Amino acid sequence: MAEVSKRFFIKARDFVRAGEGAIQVQGLLKSIGYGADLIRRISICAYEAEMNVVMHGGDGELLLMIEPHRIVLEVNDHGPGIQDIELALQEGYSTATPEHREMGFGAGMGLPNIKKNADSLDIQSGNGEGTCLTIGFRLDAG
Amino acid sequence: MPEKMKDTEPVRYVQINESLCNGCVLCMKACPTKAIRIREGKARIEGVCIDCCECVRVCPRGAVQAITSERLDLTDKDHIIVSPSTVLYSQFGEDVLPNDVLLGLKRMGFGYIHDQSYTSEIFNLAVELYIKENRERSDATLPFISPVCPVVVSLIAYRFQSLLSHIPPLATPREIVAREGKQRMAARYGKNGEAFKVVHITPCPSKMICMKESILQEHSYLDAAIGINAIYEELKRNIQDVEDDIVLHHSGGIGLSWGMSGGEISGVDLNCLAVSGLQETIHYLEKIELGLLSNIDYVEFRACSEGCLGGSFTVMDKYQAKRYLQKLIRMFGVERRVKYGYVKRLYEKGWFFTNKSVGSTPRLMDLSSADIAKGIERVKRIEEILKLLPQKECGACGCPDCETFAEDVADGRTTLDQCVFWKDRERKWHIRP
Repeated sequence: MAEVSKRFFIKARDFVRAGEGAIQVQGLLKSIGYGADLIRRISICAYEAEMNVVMHGGDGELLLMIEPHRIVLEVNDHGPGIQDIELALQEGYSTATPEHREMGFGAGMGLPNIKKNADSLDIQSGNGEGTCLTIGFRLDAG
Repeated sequence: MPEKMKDTEPVRYVQINESLCNGCVLCMKACPTKAIRIREGKARIEGVCIDCCECVRVCPRGAVQAITSERLDLTDKDHIIVSPSTVLYSQFGEDVLPNDVLLGLKRMGFGYIHDQSYTSEIFNLAVELYIKENRERSDATLPFISPVCPVVVSLIAYRFQSLLSHIPPLATPREIVAREGKQRMAARYGKNGEAFKVVHITPCPSKMICMKESILQEHSYLDAAIGINAIYEELKRNIQDVEDDIVLHHSGGIGLSWGMSGGEISGVDLNCLAVSGLQETIHYLEKIELGLLSNIDYVEFRACSEGCLGGSFTVMDKYQAKRYLQKLIRMFGVERRVKYGYVKRLYEKGWFFTNKSVGSTPRLMDLSSADIAKGIERVKRIEEILKLLPQKECGACGCPDCETFAEDVADGRTTLDQCVFWKDRERKWHIRP
């Protein structure tokens, strides 16, 4: 069971406030006193996942859970889902619209970046069923 | 007992006059570091103050005041080197030129006047040289962040410590001016040069901080700072009918533009971004900490909206001042007046570098000894307390918001019964659905 869990709402297409969840996750982890590198990795994943929801996912939520030996980010959305997960994990693959690209997003680095920074990544998604990402980070003792 | 406590308290340049304070919540709510609490009906600064002066701006009673140098002795003006902020040129309307302002200072009797805007143009080139030299380094972390605004530097030291390494170790133009001014006097008068004091005429009180508790350098070359508003009337009288033809002002439009947001980067030929205003500054620092904006070379942050023109010691309305400054910039033109080779030689001699590596300063919070288990317990306790609170963010408890109140209760700094809603919990109407 998680010792601490905190929920952040993500609003679809809200590019102005996008990233707030990641910033709050970062603040909470800082106040607990985790190391800078761990916080950076978790915040990057939270940010990338949040941006995916903002761009593709419809409304969603970000859940941060701190467990004794790991920290988990769970990101749920009600969007169209990912058609081909394997393809989405390849660097440079993106289904972003030209509008997204104009804003500087949609380089096809979101999921690959999460995979690179996390210790584990599980993706549950199907056509029209939304997406659930479970991103895990080990807390090494000592 | 109170006498002894005073010794250990940090020097503060923002102070609350208790006889004027009625204990409303405005300053407490405006504070970006949540440093203010209302205790026994009076506002008190209890946390880390970064001297942004948001509280000074919002107080309707003038109870929050910013101070500069303790009663500056201006009787011996012969031995004072005056170095005004570029903002000063924008304070007297459209018919007054920078040289008139500097001559006005001379007529006030100051021994030596040193224009800062020309040094600012030189500094622009030093930033370019530094970034071109360092951005390809493997441990370089883009974007680099301007060292100029002291509030931003304090904010980074307090809240964004991982970004300290983004600040280039370059001395700011106001420090370079002070250092060079003193050296020039020493060269001219021998040992007597040391009798000269450098006074900075400043648009904001935060310059005091970098003099007394500098984060970026070993010590400051500035001896004192006085607010533009403190000398305004006398200077204005001295500017009228100036007929001397001495030239004290040498910069072009680039150096003059430093007073406003975007002015510093206007002379830097790199990928730059200018952000002004405290909330936006915090927002962008958060983004940089997330690793975003790494496509940008250099970010100019100014804590005051519109830049230094918006400082709390200015006299002219910031938008009017901006209009005057823009007019001056058009008049003087925006081509570079500084020779690249000359700056490069100075750069290679180490002329621009500060004498300190960012590290141990009393203002940094030490997080290295943090105990994770204790941290988790604390967060759990805060969450439990938060569930009891109405989340109406009223501030009546003396804390800026419910979350901070929960933290203060968890840390033993206040008690739950300070919450008026919790005290009246029988009535249920306040409880969230």
